Amino acid sequence: MIPTPQSDSARLITPTMLVLWLVLATVPFWIARVGLYPYLGIEILIWSLYALAFNLVLGTAGLPSFGHGAYFGIGAYAFGLCQFNVVANLWACLAAALAVAGLAGALVALFISHRRGIYYAFMTIAFGQIFWTVAIKSHKVTGGEDGLLKIARLPADFGFASFDLAGNVAFYYFVLMVFGIAVIVLWRLVHSPYGRVIAAIKQSETRAAHLGYNVWLYKASIFALSAAVSGFAGGLFAMAQLAAFPDVMSLHQSGYVVMMTLVGGGLVSFWGPVIGVFLFLIARDVIGAMTNAWMLYFGLLFIAVVLFRPEGVAGAIMAAWQNRSLNSMRQQGGTALRLLLGGGRWR
Amino acid sequence: MFDLLPHILNGLTLGLLFALIALGFMLIVGLMEQINLAHGSLFALGAYFAMQLMGPRPPFPADLAQSWLALPLGWRYAATLILAPAAVGLVGIAIEFCMRRTYGKDPLYGLLLTFGAAMVIEEMIRLTWGTRDYVLQVPQAVNGGFIFGDLIWSTYRFYAAGIAVAVIGLVWLLIEKTSFGATVKAGAHDSEIVRALGIDLTRLRLLVFVFGTMLAAVAGIIVAPIWGIRPHMGVDAVIPAFLVIVLGGVGSFWGAVVAGLLVGLAVGLSGAYASEWSLLSMYVLLVAVVTFRARGLWGKKSMLEA
Repeated sequence: MIPTPQSDSARLITPTMLVLWLVLATVPFWIARVGLYPYLGIEILIWSLYALAFNLVLGTAGLPSFGHGAYFGIGAYAFGLCQFNVVANLWACLAAALAVAGLAGALVALFISHRRGIYYAFMTIAFGQIFWTVAIKSHKVTGGEDGLLKIARLPADFGFASFDLAGNVAFYYFVLMVFGIAVIVLWRLVHSPYGRVIAAIKQSETRAAHLGYNVWLYKASIFALSAAVSGFAGGLFAMAQLAAFPDVMSLHQSGYVVMMTLVGGGLVSFWGPVIGVFLFLIARDVIGAMTNAWMLYFGLLFIAVVLFRPEGVAGAIMAAWQNRSLNSMRQQGGTALRLLLGGGRWR
Repeated sequence: MFDLLPHILNGLTLGLLFALIALGFMLIVGLMEQINLAHGSLFALGAYFAMQLMGPRPPFPADLAQSWLALPLGWRYAATLILAPAAVGLVGIAIEFCMRRTYGKDPLYGLLLTFGAAMVIEEMIRLTWGTRDYVLQVPQAVNGGFIFGDLIWSTYRFYAAGIAVAVIGLVWLLIEKTSFGATVKAGAHDSEIVRALGIDLTRLRLLVFVFGTMLAAVAGIIVAPIWGIRPHMGVDAVIPAFLVIVLGGVGSFWGAVVAGLLVGLAVGLSGAYASEWSLLSMYVLLVAVVTFRARGLWGKKSMLEA
């Protein structure tokens, strides 16, 4: 009997994931030779995780969240504060980052989940600014603008063996492991029945509501989930930087993750955000070394992509490799983009 | 209660400035259903142009610059209030020519385009004037302070609030009491019919957009002596402007004015008790209102939402 080809969306681990992990596993061996540095690899992995979590809201649910940096930052602070005040255990602190950011996300979701379109977008900005201001002004807790310093890379204790993560290479492999697990979880989440309902709500809230789904609950829960995973990534980022700063919570930085996700093609592909993060961070280092105005160029690239190529880089890759029509990808991207600010309206 | 009076007055003057900042933004949203994210950058550009005109090196040929500098400060200031917005209006024309193609499509495209324009303008400002802070000279008559009820009041704040009231009033008259305003509103409501009546809608939209950008520039010139002039001032202005519009409700003139005053009062009063946290209050206010009222205070159903 010939085995029927299994669709990727039904798999636990897809070929793409395997290839990506294998390539990423070799990074420490050559990254220094191409003129970059190992820390960049860590940064890319953490931001990729963050962008994937963000895309649960933006791409999967079609909700415009422009203040997501808040949850990334909250995770970073939670990791540091747990380490200083509760228990200096890696797993406990990462769990704290996940939980606190998730709670913050759930709290915000209570206020915004019955809104759509531009009003939803502006509420997320308002909450992002609130969290950011609190982080800057609470000197005693967060260290204010100086940041929460001296966060340690706690050793990873697996019971049978404990690994020291102080070195960049060791930490890179730890982050890669965590990234791998998170990718599987997110992949299954997006392709679960729950994820399908979320995608249906993106297309039309009214239609999903008429089918009997509690639209409010789905919108609130995906936002909280996304915030939790963003916070988890933030916890890792605190370890990477050995500190937590309010910077990542600012409107500018929240805008970066939107740019990364859209340029990469998060609207049409699961992997879009990861591609976007690669492009953004490598461009930052390469173009940023040549000109101070690199954000201008990336910003203009972003606008050009959104205006003319809403399928993003991922869409172009899918069209080239998977024999999908570029035009249909473009339409898909364009529609997703219109739904994003149109607020669940199908035109 | 009496102790609070200075803070309430301070909040009201601040609120009028917020309303003034939001005015041009509101016109373009309300009458063209376009979100002009370059509003803040045009606001900053107005302030920079004015600073250049009022400074020791005005952008004129040498002999003209001589006679310009010979004018009394008050005259130069009055002329700057017209010249700088006019120059920004030219930039507005350029943006509108690019934005034209997006009319009739999703407002998202206009939003992105103006976002790009904002980035370009801000970068140009950095390249031309650097990142340092500048101060805008103002005539002696509106500078300094006066003493009233044992307190020192800044004259400029009251002058700025007065200008804000005047500009808001003029814009209201223009929209509500002239045939130009009626045509513009009709064009926003039903562009096909307005076209069929033989009215040149393309030109009308250009006028509205340019008017909106010039209002941004005026706000920039008025606010500059209070906030200072730096490249970042555009972003610092566009967020409150957007917030005031969302709070007041898209498409509502008085909604925006009231929202501006409310934001000013919230910032002023919270500043009295916890100055560190005063900027937070506008976001809390927005959350409090939009949680319960879907379209802000008096918003109408618009293209920008479902």
